[in-house]
Amino acid sequence: MLLQSEIASILLNGLQQGAIYALLGIGLTIILGTMEFLNLAHGALYLVGAYTGLIVFQETALSNGLLYSLGITTMGFEGGFLAALVIVPAFGFGVGLLMERFVAEPFYDRPETDQLLVTFGLALIVEETIKNVIGGNTFQSIAPSTIFGVNVSQPISLPLVGLFPSWRLIIIGIAFLVIGLTYLAIERTDFGLVVQAGTRDSEMVRLLGIKINRSYSLVFALGAALAAFAGLIGASIQTLSPQIGMDQALIPAFLTIVVGGAGSVRGAIAGGLVLGVIVSAMTQTYSQWAQIVLYLFVALMLIFRPQGLFGTAEVGE
Amino acid sequence: MNDEEIATDGGAVADTEEAASGGSGIARLRERDDFVVIASAAALVVFPFLLVDVLGAVGDVIGISIGGYAGLPSLVLIYGIIVIGFNLLLGYTGLLSFGHAAFFGSAAYSAALFSQVVPSPILMVIVGTIVATLLAWPIGFVSIRRSGVYFAVLTLTFGQALYFWALGPGSWLTNGDNGFSGIEAHGLFVGAVPLDTQLVPVFDSYTVMYAFAGVMMLIAVWVGNRIINSPYGLIFEALGENEERVEFVGLNVFRYKLMAFVISAVFAGVGGAMFVIHEQYIHPTTGLYWIQSGDFVIMTVLGGTGSLVGPVFGALVFEYVANVVSGVSLPMIGSIGSLWRFVLGAVFVFIVWVFPRGIYGAFSDLGARITGGGGDGNQPAATDGGESE
Repeated sequence: MLLQSEIASILLNGLQQGAIYALLGIGLTIILGTMEFLNLAHGALYLVGAYTGLIVFQETALSNGLLYSLGITTMGFEGGFLAALVIVPAFGFGVGLLMERFVAEPFYDRPETDQLLVTFGLALIVEETIKNVIGGNTFQSIAPSTIFGVNVSQPISLPLVGLFPSWRLIIIGIAFLVIGLTYLAIERTDFGLVVQAGTRDSEMVRLLGIKINRSYSLVFALGAALAAFAGLIGASIQTLSPQIGMDQALIPAFLTIVVGGAGSVRGAIAGGLVLGVIVSAMTQTYSQWAQIVLYLFVALMLIFRPQGLFGTAEVGE
Repeated sequence: MNDEEIATDGGAVADTEEAASGGSGIARLRERDDFVVIASAAALVVFPFLLVDVLGAVGDVIGISIGGYAGLPSLVLIYGIIVIGFNLLLGYTGLLSFGHAAFFGSAAYSAALFSQVVPSPILMVIVGTIVATLLAWPIGFVSIRRSGVYFAVLTLTFGQALYFWALGPGSWLTNGDNGFSGIEAHGLFVGAVPLDTQLVPVFDSYTVMYAFAGVMMLIAVWVGNRIINSPYGLIFEALGENEERVEFVGLNVFRYKLMAFVISAVFAGVGGAMFVIHEQYIHPTTGLYWIQSGDFVIMTVLGGTGSLVGPVFGALVFEYVANVVSGVSLPMIGSIGSLWRFVLGAVFVFIVWVFPRGIYGAFSDLGARITGGGGDGNQPAATDGGESE
């Protein structure tokens, strides 16, 4: 019974961590797949999401902040996180549009190392800006204690698992809702069709008379919005510091698409979940080895199955 | 880059007839080993004086401390050695590694551990370099099989695995999060000449440590120049331009890429061991964390990937900004402090954007334009015209 509950809690934690990886991975992979553009600033977008979430959360809190100073204190529920759920992805979308127009576009035709370098520099700038404007110190996670009057800070008892933080369950639900919607948008809509065709052969799509440049902006912005959303989710369960953009977002995102296969949305979801479960299993057993096993797993994956779980070998090679 | 550059460089190595024309004569002189080493030696002799004393005097006049400190010139040389090797990989062979901290750090750690047995600086460098080389072989062997972003990610994953190993499970050997501090190297010639001995009484930046780093730098420049101007180095360059073409010529691409990787790791190993001797401490975050690899990338690209010594200028700018500019307090803006990385990031993006050949490339283009050498095929300006794709 103990063993069973351990496995169940590893899987649940893995699901929650994997959801963040998958959100990041989808964004990175559609940008890489469609535009063949390697975005090392993807972690910076996560950071933007996390800190925008923090600011929105603080400013809309009941006891202080902007809303409080406006005299609005009787909303009846903690609206901060719900507001952030809307504002953060929208903001990320806007940042993505700007980034595509001003940073990515001039580099589409340059060598891929130049793309890596310029986005790496951009990531540095974003990280340092946050450090200097908001501060380099860590912030507590921004999980709300109640939503619509329902207490979400207490753990609830689940069959098999035992006590599990109810907020994390909600997070898993929201994250997979977004992942599912993104998946449907790419698999079932015309826009998704163009994106998918673009990942295979963008030249051909252009020849067919489709304005792929407009799709480029949308894809980039969608990827950025997903990264920002992942940042918000991450900020609600982990402490925040400017370093997390690189360590907890950029590198895992890359590992995710390497495992899943570059250019594949399905691969990013599967890869994220696999890595999430590995990290959660190792953290609960031999936590010192968690990161090492994660990296070595990805290295083995690259050696023995370079195309990933669902990818084709050409993208990004 | 295009075919022209292979042709011109190839001509410089193989042909002797072109020496008659003036432009190629200068170009040929610039490539000769003894000229490069003597010019570098001359630069190394005046470098600490300019960096610490002249800038310090200027700083005194305008009231801002912009000189260096006595140890800065050696530190710049140490990173300079590393990026000369890193550039052989990134600039010439076209492989972007995000895992070179592994070689830097493993050399630093093994030198630190070895110093507890035999505190000889030269032996520390040798041991560190051997360990870095032995580590580079398997990592390179595996990573080289993939190209582009996969190569970068593979090197990164190995580097990070080593970092987390050093922090956690490997702490019995690496001392974990505490790192090593107070590492003492006794001095050159069986401890007879301590490293902090001053060579020139008045200028305290001319120490034995600086001379040691300077000699290592000259060796690095000589070896680097030797490689770049040899047929072997030409293959590296050809790989950076078009791997398929090299393969169709019938060369073993894998072997050359692996050698480029291992050679660059040797330079990183020398630098890592020198770093420990100079700074007397090592910690996983300084030695093995991937940001350190990123710093090598920044230095190399900042300085310029198109030439042998270009990256050294990047190391100079990077370390100068990190160690001196960060401490400067300006009249209007106030203390720069932690803003230095922001400034560096902005400069980095600007350089990548506007001058893909870095600071050194931009200056040599400017120099070529002033001397009107644009028409000659062997001048840097002409090869640059081909390079900006």
